Amino acid sequence: MMFVTGPLFAGKRDYVCRALGWTQEELAARAVWDVQNLAADAPDAGTLARLADRLAGYEVVIATEVGGGVVPVDAKERAAREAAGRLACLLAERAETVVRVVCGLPQTLKGDSSCWSI
Amino acid sequence: MMTLVIGGAASGKSEFAEVMARQFAAPRVYIATMQPFGEEALARIQKHRDRRARMGFETLECYTGLSVACEALPENASVMLECLGNLVANERYSPDGGGKGVALAGVLRLADCCRDLVVVTNEVFSGGSDYEGDTLGYLRELAQANRALAARADRVVELTAGLPNWLKGGPTQSEEATR
Repeated sequence: MMFVTGPLFAGKRDYVCRALGWTQEELAARAVWDVQNLAADAPDAGTLARLADRLAGYEVVIATEVGGGVVPVDAKERAAREAAGRLACLLAERAETVVRVVCGLPQTLKGDSSCWSI
Repeated sequence: MMTLVIGGAASGKSEFAEVMARQFAAPRVYIATMQPFGEEALARIQKHRDRRARMGFETLECYTGLSVACEALPENASVMLECLGNLVANERYSPDGGGKGVALAGVLRLADCCRDLVVVTNEVFSGGSDYEGDTLGYLRELAQANRALAARADRVVELTAGLPNWLKGGPTQSEEATR
């Protein structure tokens, strides 16, 4: 599994399509994105790990970085943001390749992405 | 050569871009985009203008209409533009603004009519997507401009704690030597 992360609107899905030569349809069938939002529903670490295991079944998993702002005042939002960050760590552990996309430009954080080169 | 410098608040992106731009060939122009509000801002801006003049930069204030402002540039000018985040906000929200997409068009025009260009832009995209009003619309436009300029630029560098992380291209030999 390839884990792709990066800031909001950084061009993560476009990068995956370019790198793998996928169409939007292939992307929809073989990848999953905005997984940071799924983390909010995991009530504990075990559920989060099972979610990571399930997501690792996809070829590509994409998450938006959401932990870079001020700590949210609302407790629920705080927990959701925390879970999103934890989920990203779990996905990176499970991934063979981790790529961070900034301004549409990829940077490999783990593994070898040369075979994905664009 | 065009370089895009991106970073969060106080990441050292301005200083990094400034050191780079000081090595550009003259005439050097600094394009300032922040609209001054009040006496204090005006005084601070004058201080920055004087400091840049000592470094050999002429300052051009441009809050909106960068495409038109390009006409006033000396031939073969080297330019530092700071910053794209302001420019997008000015075009989008100021009464004189041209609306969506105008800021990016202006910078692309600028890139075509100067020798060396360094553009400073903001990393404001890692704090979630739960915003009020038009903030998400603004973020979407700024991100789109960042991506378009990153594609157009010869070099892209992200600053963290004053340190460069090159995302595209890398430092020139003379830049390496001065750091």
